[in-house]
Amino acid sequence: MSADPRAALAARIGREYAESWGTQTEARAGAARRQRALEALVSQGLPSSRDENWKYANLRPLERARFAAPRLEPSRDALIATLPPAIAGYARYTFIDGVRLEDAGGDSKTASPGLLNSLASESGRRALADLDSIADAGPDTRFALLNEAFAPDGALIRVPASAAGVARIELVFVSVAAAQAGASHPRVLVRLEPGARLDLIERHLSSGSGSGFVNSAVQVALEAGATLNHYRVQQLGARAVWFDTLSAELASRATYRAYCASLGAQSARSTLQVRLGGEGAQLALHAVSVGDRQQVLDGYARVEHAAPATRTEETFRGIAAGRARVAFNGKIVVRAGAHKTDSSQSLRGLLAGPEAEIDVRPQLEIHTDDVRCSHGATAGKLDEAMLFYLLTRGLEPDAAQRLLKWAFLEDVVARIEIVELRRQIEASLAGQMHEADALQELL
Amino acid sequence: MLEISDLHVSVAGTAVLKGLTLQVPRGEVHAVMGPNGSGKSTLAYVLAGRPGYEITRGTVSYEGRDLLALTPEERARLGVFLGFQYPVEIPGVNNVYLLKAALNAMRKARGQSEVDAFEFLALVRDKMKLMRMEDSFLSRGVNEGFSGGEKKRNEILQMLVLEPRLAILDETDSGLDIDALKIVADGVNSMRAADRSFVLVTHYQRLLEHVIPDRVHVLVRGRIARSGDRTLAHELERRGYDWLLGEAA
Repeated sequence: MSADPRAALAARIGREYAESWGTQTEARAGAARRQRALEALVSQGLPSSRDENWKYANLRPLERARFAAPRLEPSRDALIATLPPAIAGYARYTFIDGVRLEDAGGDSKTASPGLLNSLASESGRRALADLDSIADAGPDTRFALLNEAFAPDGALIRVPASAAGVARIELVFVSVAAAQAGASHPRVLVRLEPGARLDLIERHLSSGSGSGFVNSAVQVALEAGATLNHYRVQQLGARAVWFDTLSAELASRATYRAYCASLGAQSARSTLQVRLGGEGAQLALHAVSVGDRQQVLDGYARVEHAAPATRTEETFRGIAAGRARVAFNGKIVVRAGAHKTDSSQSLRGLLAGPEAEIDVRPQLEIHTDDVRCSHGATAGKLDEAMLFYLLTRGLEPDAAQRLLKWAFLEDVVARIEIVELRRQIEASLAGQMHEADALQELL
Repeated sequence: MLEISDLHVSVAGTAVLKGLTLQVPRGEVHAVMGPNGSGKSTLAYVLAGRPGYEITRGTVSYEGRDLLALTPEERARLGVFLGFQYPVEIPGVNNVYLLKAALNAMRKARGQSEVDAFEFLALVRDKMKLMRMEDSFLSRGVNEGFSGGEKKRNEILQMLVLEPRLAILDETDSGLDIDALKIVADGVNSMRAADRSFVLVTHYQRLLEHVIPDRVHVLVRGRIARSGDRTLAHELERRGYDWLLGEAA
């Protein structure tokens, strides 16, 4: 056995970096950025299960994964056929193992032109130069460093203050290569200038073996009065591994609504860090995770109220069936001076199997008076009183349980205002619950 | 229709019903009255099959069948309906969906095909008019955010749609203002029929001003302490329950 597994991992990351990026020529700004991320990563190391906030995550796949991007050329025609139907009015951009595929369908020609830049392009790299590195976001965002060091491409979205109406963009990240061949590092940078509005769909899917190692990093900056509705859907293949890091900074009166559905992957860990840095900034975070078999779906959300009159509404609904483990840890920090903060958390988990595990944990850290912070957390089985009520109306026990599970998830899913997307997610949830046929009537 | 004989029931080891005997013939409306804690709601729940109630002795026969041997959903499909004292809120399940699923469960049990979507909506709208409920109710979650009166009206609406043969209404009158009480009573009266029986569980006699019972029974300390015609309800209203508590002791 080697002396320190973390040091060994860091050394391997350094070697893989040297092999994949050490020989390539890249614009100086980009190269320096990568190099900084790599150095920070090698010195800090990736999280281990001994780290606070990481005890529910499955970190074992790191031992086998290859972190550099794969060099394989996927068959693009076969790939496009596997994509979900386009959502009307959204410009779709597709990325294969983190690399942009040109003209992959969707309303790219008609909707919101010119807002997205590929980070691999010259203009993308120039635009990147004046953005902060995610490296500064703290110890729980170390996977974003890994992304920053290795990602070959990415989506840079900037909506100017002058843009009229709501911009609509859909990003589809498809993981093709198996984990041994190389990792996929989906990368998204979003900046909304004052008052700008964006509806963004972000999907993570698998094609082929469905056993990829996917490490996404998303960075969101909302300037004063900007509004982002962000729909995130993780439906990777049954043997895929997903690490995900999102950090967001909100200026005054900015509104960020994030809707997250985590359904696929063998093991998924999503880390969200949101800072409400300007007065009156608002966050709505609604997440749903449905796990079966031996899936491990872990979520961690840290929200920092750093300015007065900021608001957070957080909802989590998770179901664990089979031998799955589903966890969500929601931490809210209220800084000194962030008076009139208003936060609410409703975190609920449902055990749908005798060997399943659910962990939901709300945490509050308050450094000022005059705040209103409420939280509720439950983990357990279906409500007996509800079940009995449905049985007295003649429903079969199976049907009644199905209905209640469905209703439980609807607390989150019903909030998705894009009807086509909501229906797609509902159909996937029904599939995940092995009840597509029985639930057909509800869809 | 319903024959309860020497029924003993314990909840968490405590005896609540202690030898209850009661017959409700077909087509009749029987009121079961009694002070708080006498076992009225226990009786209603036991008849509907709620888990957690231990039957230690006695029998319940419903149309010749052993009711206690049936699951709650089997009872429902054979026409037993419980109107809850505290109807359960089920956010995320639409009222209209529950009504349709329940009606189809009943129809399936009767060997009928699933209800046609248009016929179903027409039927429900018709019954909702009777219960003075607004259309928006259909798309709301079951009892979610309903006032006490709305919940009770919803119970009666379900009864109107499902057309049970035996309806057990547990304190359906409690918490209703006079207008809501009349709406609920009209709903019940519209359902009275030669092949349908009712058990009205109630603390007060005011519902019985609007729904005239064939028989009134007084439940005291887990047993029927007295039975009579509707004048017994008036007597209870005048004298309270204390005199019967004395007798039963």
